[in-house]
Amino acid sequence: MNLPSVSNAHKTNEIAVSVRGLGLTYTTSIERRPTLKARAKSLGRGTKHTRVIQALDNVNLDVEYGHVLGVIGSNGAGKSSMMRVIAGIIPPTQGRIEVFGSVSTLLALGVGFNPSMSGRDNVFLGGLAAGMTRDQIEDNFQEIADFSELGDAIDAPMRTYSSGMFSRLAFSVAATVRPDILIVDEALSTGDAKFKEKSLNRIKELRSDDRALIIVSHAMGTLREVCNDVAWLNKGVLVQRGEPNATIDAYQDFLQVKRSAASDEDV
Amino acid sequence: MSAPIQVPSQVYEPFHAGLPPLIRYSKSLWLRRTFIVEYSRSELRSKNFGSFFGQLWLILNPLLLSAVYFLLIVIIRGSSDSARYVHLTATLFLFYFVSNSLTGGVKAVTGGQRLILNTAFPRIMLPISAVVIALFRFLPTLLVFLIIRTVLGGAFFWQMLWAIPILFITTLLSLGLAITISCMNVYFRDIASFLPYLTRTILYLSPVLYESSALSPKVLKIEILNPLFPLLDSWSQALVHGQAPQTSSMLVALAWAVAIFVIGSYIFLSREREFAVRL
Repeated sequence: MNLPSVSNAHKTNEIAVSVRGLGLTYTTSIERRPTLKARAKSLGRGTKHTRVIQALDNVNLDVEYGHVLGVIGSNGAGKSSMMRVIAGIIPPTQGRIEVFGSVSTLLALGVGFNPSMSGRDNVFLGGLAAGMTRDQIEDNFQEIADFSELGDAIDAPMRTYSSGMFSRLAFSVAATVRPDILIVDEALSTGDAKFKEKSLNRIKELRSDDRALIIVSHAMGTLREVCNDVAWLNKGVLVQRGEPNATIDAYQDFLQVKRSAASDEDV
Repeated sequence: MSAPIQVPSQVYEPFHAGLPPLIRYSKSLWLRRTFIVEYSRSELRSKNFGSFFGQLWLILNPLLLSAVYFLLIVIIRGSSDSARYVHLTATLFLFYFVSNSLTGGVKAVTGGQRLILNTAFPRIMLPISAVVIALFRFLPTLLVFLIIRTVLGGAFFWQMLWAIPILFITTLLSLGLAITISCMNVYFRDIASFLPYLTRTILYLSPVLYESSALSPKVLKIEILNPLFPLLDSWSQALVHGQAPQTSSMLVALAWAVAIFVIGSYIFLSREREFAVRL
């Protein structure tokens, strides 16, 4: 598989993403839905029906080109929040994020696809939303379709897809768009073994092409294999960052599961 | 390995209510203009408007509506004529363009949750798409109206071309309304349930079921508060009667449209970066 001809303007070890003093707090309303009625009620009582959640606290992180950064941590550690902030979807509460290059995201929920439309239409929709032109998508479409191995199903409505097919298509779009920086959030876990192998190869290709990748995953084996660097988040705080094996070992010691066969297997 | 000094392509800093850099914002909006059209099309298609009967319904629905309201007029007034029916269809169809923009716009942001949580793009595209959908649904009814007018109304005048600037102002107003209400619905989710009453009230306050000449001067003075009144009045003046609309009502309509569009966009743009955490 050849990487498409679009060359990368960035060199190894140049900074791709710089995160400085990142803090993020969510203010969630306790009322299930914010409504006029709820607002009027709390106005009368003079109380604020909100709860503040500290999702990230003073995180400093650099990602260089030619590197793959793995992000690990328990559920609710702030991994996905950090990915959303880097992608510019959520504004940070404190700190500053500088991004040097184009970003393509593959977040847990998948692209904002319209399930009643075919995979083909959704590829166009997703690409256009990401700011590509129609011609650019058309040029890459065959490659996306081939990589996803969907075959004729590409023209079937996406509501008929299995979750594996869905994530295969989403990964193909995100990885074929050839971003400078690719952010993948737990999207590698739904594909079958063959597709997982293929996407790992693609990640390695992107790495050697001096792109920057950030991968959020609970699959420690995968991370040990592809990452040059692992960051461990716990309750919004960056606990440790460094060499993959050392960081993952520390994380697993922390979880008191040690390196048993069960936890090392790809989930 | 000397790192050259680079300019970051994106900088994200804490959110504070204020406008994003407008030039960069409009550039990235312009870059996605095809997305707005494609997204609107896909929404229309997903509501089965891609099929033959779905498209037929786009025409049948306003025709049935106009028939029902015509029946209402006949019963209340005791009699009616074809000129009244032509006026009714003209104004009702334009009214439904605005009304569809509102009903589409109110859910535009809250319904686009998946898209908003997973992709970074100018959020204002969502209410804009709602108006484009409403426009797509309006255009065939305009054709239906022209057929009705040819059959019932007789001659065409060049003054009917005034409909073009009026439609332009109406689109601007619809954009402003859709942008405003889509943003409000993020903070007050029950607005969507009030909306049918709001549109129904505006319908009865507007010269659709009656002509503006039927109103007393006192009521006409109050109608300056209804942004749709001068638009629908001028629309009927131009398309039904073939006369140039009054300059004053065109100016009032334009002032309303620009004001709502600017204020709505300001509120939306200064708040939109917060939407992802509010959904």
